[in-house]
Amino acid sequence: MARAAPLWRLMNAAERRRYWWGHWRLAVPAVTTALLALAMTAPLIVPVPAFPQLALLGVFVWTSFQPGLMPPWVAFLVGLVADLLFAQPLGVNATLFAATAAFVRFLETRYDHRAHGLDWGVAAGLIVIFELSTWLLMTLAGSPVPLAPLGWQVLTSIAAYPLVVAICARIQRRAFGPEGMR
Amino acid sequence: MDWTPAPRRTSAMRREQNLALVGAVVSGAVIATGLLLVLMARVNPDGAARMRGVMLDIVTPVWSVVRAPFDGAGRVAGWSGDYLGAVSRNRDLETQLNAARAELQRAAADRQALVQLKRLVNVRDRARRVIGTARIVSATSGSVVRSAMIAAGRNDGVVPGLPVISAQGLIGRTIEAGAISARVLLLADPASRIPVMIVRTGQAALVVGTNSPALELRDLVGADVPLRAGDRLVTSGDGGVFPPGVPVGTVISAVEPPKVRPAANPVGAGFVTIEAAFMPLPVEAAIPNFGAPVPIEARRSGGGAPAPKPAAPLQ
Repeated sequence: MARAAPLWRLMNAAERRRYWWGHWRLAVPAVTTALLALAMTAPLIVPVPAFPQLALLGVFVWTSFQPGLMPPWVAFLVGLVADLLFAQPLGVNATLFAATAAFVRFLETRYDHRAHGLDWGVAAGLIVIFELSTWLLMTLAGSPVPLAPLGWQVLTSIAAYPLVVAICARIQRRAFGPEGMR
Repeated sequence: MDWTPAPRRTSAMRREQNLALVGAVVSGAVIATGLLLVLMARVNPDGAARMRGVMLDIVTPVWSVVRAPFDGAGRVAGWSGDYLGAVSRNRDLETQLNAARAELQRAAADRQALVQLKRLVNVRDRARRVIGTARIVSATSGSVVRSAMIAAGRNDGVVPGLPVISAQGLIGRTIEAGAISARVLLLADPASRIPVMIVRTGQAALVVGTNSPALELRDLVGADVPLRAGDRLVTSGDGGVFPPGVPVGTVISAVEPPKVRPAANPVGAGFVTIEAAFMPLPVEAAIPNFGAPVPIEARRSGGGAPAPKPAAPLQ
């Protein structure tokens, strides 16, 4: 059986360079979500954890936009970055982001595309579960936190969902859309 | 043939099913790894110190550059608040100033007397030593851990476990340090415990963060004098990290559990000073002795000779 030669063997240097650099799109969802996590460390010091959980929303949105590029293990790596950024015990966000990605993937295969409003509802439910699990895992990791102030983050995160969708949709159109493919 | 043949799985179908199975197994393994990491963090909270330092060094320069709009927003909010209550506050301040002037006269005399008395009994005061002055460049307002990042790190002599103080009072202590940046655990964090003294009564207590605007006062010990709203708290110097006498906050409600409003607000703090730990506990390295029959824990608590350098990096 004749095997096709590897793709890059048939290319000249310029084509090869363009081919390899063309893979930057694979990193777009992960990098975007990591940048959202970075945005959460903005120098706004409020006495309650009130800044929206942009990174979780990013994982949620990218898992439905580009399921192949935000599998649970990528969400896990993004969660590790978030743990390091937020000074949380290593593994709290990593576990929860990976579980979120796995859950959304299950949801997508089971019931395919959903309306935007329903997406928002699912995201709201996920955020509530995320905060509860954060509280649980922080206790498990040996640094318990009070539960009530996390309610603020639930509210702001639900409010911030359309914003994250808009940002990710714009990036999605630029990177993966018909005019971006070239 | 009067039976229907079993439906044949095409190779594409089989491939897809296999991939789905592998995907599910990998997802499960990833989540299990995460839980394992959480348990490891419980056993060894300082496991990833080096990685955290590197991450700090990446993040802090970014926010040092793009900090300006946030500073501006905070300042505008502060100004508008100042203008709204200016007249009434001015009157309050004038009455307070008059009272304070009289108090100051008495305090000057007291200070003289204190200097003389200290000279008589030969008291040695430990001097406070400032390691550096830095700006708060970033914070984790979206995380359950309340911390801020400052633009000074190991290169400037900042290590974990140092007090961070602003002009208004205590900000927190450093918990992680990179080469050019460090992380400060703020008073509002639930893991923050500040040994304080109530100025009016001299009772000792702990101020604990609750992830909410007010701090909590716990473990009040000393003379059984009831607290009053308005009681001022300063650090007591217990524990050896925070120098004594730094303002921590004011009691705003004396009902159990007492609530404390912090003296210094990290938002407007801008520049903070990082001081040397006031009276650091000596770090003793365990000297392994494999030939001894007693368990190593028992020997370690018995105390070995302190090594000249700590074996583990200073927490």
